[in-house]
Amino acid sequence: MSSLTQITKSTSQIPIFAIIVLAIIFAVGLFVVGYDQGHIFSIVLGEQAYADLYIHELTHDMRHEAGFPCH
Amino acid sequence: MAIVLFSGALAGTLHGVANLVIVEPYLDTAIGIENQNLFASGEEEDTPAFWVEYDAYRDWQKGGQVLAGAILGTSMGGLFGIVYVLSRNALPRGSDLKKSFTLAAIMWLTIYIIPFLKYPANPPTVGDPETVVLRSILFLSFIALSGFGAVAFYQVYKRLQSKKIAAFVGYGIFIAIVFALMPPNPDEVTAPMDLVNGFRAMSVVAVSVFWVSIAVIFGGLWHKFRPDAENSDINN
Repeated sequence: MSSLTQITKSTSQIPIFAIIVLAIIFAVGLFVVGYDQGHIFSIVLGEQAYADLYIHELTHDMRHEAGFPCH
Repeated sequence: MAIVLFSGALAGTLHGVANLVIVEPYLDTAIGIENQNLFASGEEEDTPAFWVEYDAYRDWQKGGQVLAGAILGTSMGGLFGIVYVLSRNALPRGSDLKKSFTLAAIMWLTIYIIPFLKYPANPPTVGDPETVVLRSILFLSFIALSGFGAVAFYQVYKRLQSKKIAAFVGYGIFIAIVFALMPPNPDEVTAPMDLVNGFRAMSVVAVSVFWVSIAVIFGGLWHKFRPDAENSDINN
């Protein structure tokens, strides 16, 4: 019986909120470093962002080194 | 949560610094070839003004990779934290450091090394801009298949009462089939193979620095602060 109680407790201790936040950070971070081609800055800068590619250039070397496909 | 993000950011920064030290020489050589091609085709001229602009641009990229490392590290740290919290009870008994090392090794193998064997990293000049979307889709799908495959076989592992090794064998067969069926990278490597292989080897070392760092930092911090202890709140 006591073991049953323990199992329930440890399951309910998993912080769902924290997991959701971490999942969002994971997705956004991965996109920024691996895939952005001006998309994020285009929200502010418009079409120009796709030509400037600030984030692409900033993360360029890491893209190659971490194995993300690049030019 | 702070532990997760801090470990990721710090390990990612170390990854960026490792890249700067050991991988950069290969990148510089590769981009040198790109420049020579630009001069040969007449797209750019070999003038002092070109090199001033080029150096400024490369300094921005080199500095940027450390920041990019921190961002990528934080992001991967987030994933690591999620998996750790959900699988902690199934990881080998012992210290948190042992658990975090085991998990880091599994993740290193399933979402980095195996995908790398299929779609190895390439220095600049290798990739064809025309195929970058296709290559991105292939690369990400393979990682996702391998990662979710590992999660699925982890569920099998938990349910098996005996012969738990069958779950590892199952994953091995699954990933071998995926490996064989996925189309290869469409780009032909025209850069010197010495350069490409040197780059790949150093790239693996640098990414491994990340996984070892996150295991040590995360395991150490988790052990010290015990966020899973009673009365902990989610901000731990």
